[in-house]
Amino acid sequence: MNARTILYVEDNELNRKIVRDMLRRTSYRLLEATDGETGIAIARAECPDLILMDIQLPKVSGLEAMRVLRQASETAHTPIIAITSFALSGDDQKAKDAGASAYLAKPYSPRELLDMIRELVPEA
Amino acid sequence: MPATVHAKLLAAFLIIVLLLITVGAVGLQVLSGVNRRADDLVKLQRKIAAYRQLQHDTTSQLYSVSSALVVPEEHTLDATLRQLNQSGYDLDRLQFVAKDEVDLLGQVRDDYEKFIAVVTHVVELIRGGKVKEGRELQLTQAGPLADRLERITNQLVNRAEADMVASIEAGEDAYRTSRWVVIGFAVASIGLALTLGYVISWSLIDPVQRMDARLREIAAGDFSRHVAVPNRDELGALAANLNRMNDELGRVYRELAAASRHKSEFLANVSHELRTPMNAILGFNELILDGIYGDVPPDVKVPLTDIQNSGKHLLRLINNVLDLSKIEAGRMELTPAEYLVQDTVERVRASLGSLAAQKGIDFVTAVPPDLPTALADAGRITQCLMNLAGNALKFTREGRVEIAVELRGDLLYYRVTDTGIGIADDQLETIFGQFHQGDATITREFGGTGLGLSITKKIVEMHGGRIWVESELGKGSSFCFTIPLRLEAPKGV
Repeated sequence: MNARTILYVEDNELNRKIVRDMLRRTSYRLLEATDGETGIAIARAECPDLILMDIQLPKVSGLEAMRVLRQASETAHTPIIAITSFALSGDDQKAKDAGASAYLAKPYSPRELLDMIRELVPEA
Repeated sequence: MPATVHAKLLAAFLIIVLLLITVGAVGLQVLSGVNRRADDLVKLQRKIAAYRQLQHDTTSQLYSVSSALVVPEEHTLDATLRQLNQSGYDLDRLQFVAKDEVDLLGQVRDDYEKFIAVVTHVVELIRGGKVKEGRELQLTQAGPLADRLERITNQLVNRAEADMVASIEAGEDAYRTSRWVVIGFAVASIGLALTLGYVISWSLIDPVQRMDARLREIAAGDFSRHVAVPNRDELGALAANLNRMNDELGRVYRELAAASRHKSEFLANVSHELRTPMNAILGFNELILDGIYGDVPPDVKVPLTDIQNSGKHLLRLINNVLDLSKIEAGRMELTPAEYLVQDTVERVRASLGSLAAQKGIDFVTAVPPDLPTALADAGRITQCLMNLAGNALKFTREGRVEIAVELRGDLLYYRVTDTGIGIADDQLETIFGQFHQGDATITREFGGTGLGLSITKKIVEMHGGRIWVESELGKGSSFCFTIPLRLEAPKGV
């Protein structure tokens, strides 16, 4: 069985490095995008098994990108974890409305994120 | 030249005064007409009386001459002559009361003078003893003259009486006409005064009503319209000022809204900017602790864990400060959604469970399993429970901390009980104030900003709930707050 693919759309290099390092000892394959537009393009081209979507992104916001992905046939049912900047400001509800399968507030614990990923897409 | 309200009112009153004067003048005119006619009637009556007097004189003259002829005595004759004098006086008087009948009067005078001459002659004849001749003269001349005089005076009386009837009829006609003139003037004046009053008062009331309606709209925060008052008086000036005030208020309002929006955006940005490095710090630290970058010696794990806990603490402080800024700016909004009370309490237990375990505190929850689905801002309620349970764990060295929930009617009772240091009676009132902690030594020993309870109270109140505390120093505290099971409508702070 092929390795599961995860797409992480996030503009901050350090945040991407955390996830990159976190997945180092797992079998998941990581794709990275730094803005919403690129994120949508890669998601539709590569059809990843899971998408991690930051909400605050340059060009196209994470919420908008999720709406687009939900409309596209290739990614309509792909699990998406939205990473909100502040769980208490209503972002979680907005993320759900835009089509997120789950959400995590920043700053998140890598341990929690990995648990969430494993629950949605078990390692191959 | 703009007409002032003062000038308008003055003009209206002047016009009404002029109308009153006109009605009065017309009435006086009519009265003087009536008076003149009454004078005419009196004159006619006097004329008739004078004519009758003359007739009477003539008849008595004839009678007294006839008596003298029968009883020719000196005193009878004297009486007859005296009567002639009286008649002359009456005749003179006629000249004044009947100025307009000169022709007939001339005739009367001529005839009467002749009559006097004849009578005088008859008296002389009687005195001379010629009674027979006197009687002759009396019959042939005095009698016919007297008849003629009576005829003429009758004519005069008839004419005067006809004049009187005509005058009375003319008076009645004039009275009817005058009555209509007076009524017409009075009705026209009342109509004019009422119209004037209506127009003037409406020209004052309508702008006032319009401005009142506009002020209500402005008070309700609508600065989009101007009030249209075409008056060129004080009210027009007032409306112009009202419009200027509207524009100025609208401008200030928009500026304030923009400033508030900027502040809100600034807070959101600060929040995001602070969270990004915190994410990296806490994230990498956790990865190190988890041995992603290689095995971690046990004595390094302790400071790494300290970094982790301090980072989380710093994050909570940042969140509290930002929350309070939002509350102060009136920008905190509730996001009500359906939630399960069990999930909320479980999230708090999971987050604080490790801390409780570290301190060896018994951390328990008691939530009835059959609670219905609730509607409120679950994130904010979680925050309240985190604050209260976090405090409870912080101020408890040993024993237990319990989160219990109860449903009574439409209200959920959340209760966080600890066996901690407790709160002194005199602190119970002020403990929910900002930056407040029991006392300064608590701050040194336990840390914290003293914002958690203040924020919790605000959140509970935004939900329409209530928060209170029961505590005994040294025994522990019990914080309780109520939240409606189903939040009807979000409330601003």
